[in-house]
Amino acid sequence: MPKHDTPLLDQLESGPWPSFVKDLKRQAEKNPACWDILGQMEVSYEDKITHWKHGGIVGVFGYGGGIVGRYSDMPKRFPGVAHFHTVRVNQPSSKFYNTKVLRQIMDIWERRGSGMTNMHGSTGDLVLLGTFTEELEEIFYELTHDVGVDLGGSGGNLRTPSCCLGQARCEWSCYDTAEACHNITMTYQDELHRPAFPYKFKTKFSGCPNDCVAAIARSDFSVIGTWRDDIRIDQAAVKGYVNGEFPANGGAHAGGDWGPFNIKKEVIDLCPTNCMWMEGDELKIDNAECTRCMHCLNVMPRALRPGLDQGASILIGAKAPILDGAQLSTLIVPFIKMDAENEFEEYKEIIEKCWDWWMEEGKNRERIGESMQRIGLPTFLKIMEIDPIPQHVKEPRSNPYVFWKEEEVEGGFERDLAEFRKRHPM
Amino acid sequence: MADREEVKAQILELLTKSKKPALYLKDMQKKVDAKPREIKNAANELVRDQKVMFWSSGSSTMYALPERAKDEDKIGV
Ligand code: SF4
Ligand code: SF4
Repeated sequence: MPKHDTPLLDQLESGPWPSFVKDLKRQAEKNPACWDILGQMEVSYEDKITHWKHGGIVGVFGYGGGIVGRYSDMPKRFPGVAHFHTVRVNQPSSKFYNTKVLRQIMDIWERRGSGMTNMHGSTGDLVLLGTFTEELEEIFYELTHDVGVDLGGSGGNLRTPSCCLGQARCEWSCYDTAEACHNITMTYQDELHRPAFPYKFKTKFSGCPNDCVAAIARSDFSVIGTWRDDIRIDQAAVKGYVNGEFPANGGAHAGGDWGPFNIKKEVIDLCPTNCMWMEGDELKIDNAECTRCMHCLNVMPRALRPGLDQGASILIGAKAPILDGAQLSTLIVPFIKMDAENEFEEYKEIIEKCWDWWMEEGKNRERIGESMQRIGLPTFLKIMEIDPIPQHVKEPRSNPYVFWKEEEVEGGFERDLAEFRKRHPM
Repeated sequence: MADREEVKAQILELLTKSKKPALYLKDMQKKVDAKPREIKNAANELVRDQKVMFWSSGSSTMYALPERAKDEDKIGV
């Protein structure tokens, strides 16, 4: 039986799509506090302002992240949501959990929280929505001791690292993303649990440029698998595709009437760098021109595979639109090896250099991508001690001024000014 | 450069005297004589000692003295 009238929210149940209002009402039958979520939200819709207060002092002992405090500004009217804190649970790498773990977490959450979740947050965490301050330490104890999971990141911390399925299930993966994600999570526990940075910092691991975790769009430090040598070609399988023996795209999009497979139209002409051609019935690739866009590999997975000299590119600076507009990560390091044997040493060297600089120079609530933009890419590359390469250039220069440093000019800047003035009087 | 105890003392003094009840690490960096990482470690040690508390909006984090952090409405971001 609803505790509050919610005519505005009820409208959201009327469409053909799933509705969070329906979900909330169902949950409210089990946990009456959920009626107060609906009640408060209805008032927000009427008043056109939020009735959540911003932030809070909650947390579990010793952790400066993982709990996001929320308090209602109408606690008397909606006591069930007087506190409505979020608990972020660090997901296992590649989200390989079993149903036992999910049941255990939900059991804790039904007992000690609202029972509502957001699976998963954009950082990958299992997000448990809505509990009271006095439950937090108990929840934390049960999660860590009974289930064996930890809290994720929030605030000005390293956020919970996340990764694609990687080599566990995907033949395109150019490194073991799950291993990398786990190793980095364990190495940087202090950065994850105790705020160190001017603002949030996310890192995500994709095994190949298909970028299934959207690292390039959603992480400050994006690690995207790639290869340095040539795409492996199985010419017999190429012929197989041309002859219609294998379905293109691994059988995806098969519902449409596309006609017989046309390698020119569907692969060669769509290569963004025009670096593919046929010689007789052999497919050729000018690998120096290939940008690793993955298109041809996706269409003919049996015939084309990533090269064997595998690793990852590091791109820095993606973020959602808060201060400036949304921004994708920018390529900074074209290739590093991502080896578990050396403990992902190259990755760690680069990320720590970024942090050291950003902790000094970043402004309050400024993402590293914004700090980078503020000082300019050339300066950032100098700080990172990386020589510029053509791939760093976004577009040809549009202004006529070139600023040289003295050491970059043969003979330096020394000149006889008196001699110059004879020819160019003031 | 100050040692850990001195850095802690400087942070506590800053948090007591500052106009705002809660400060970002960056605010401390402007006033405390130490590297950012050292300030962060010292501030977190103060949290462990329960002399300082975190205040978080969810997206960024501030530090405050427990008695001043109670004044939540004034913190804001
Ligand atoms: S990003 Fe690449 S390697 Fe990772 S799951 Fe997707 S396709 Fe596979
Ligand atoms: S991966 Fe993309 S750029 Fe490279 S050869 Fe294939 S289609 Fe062309």
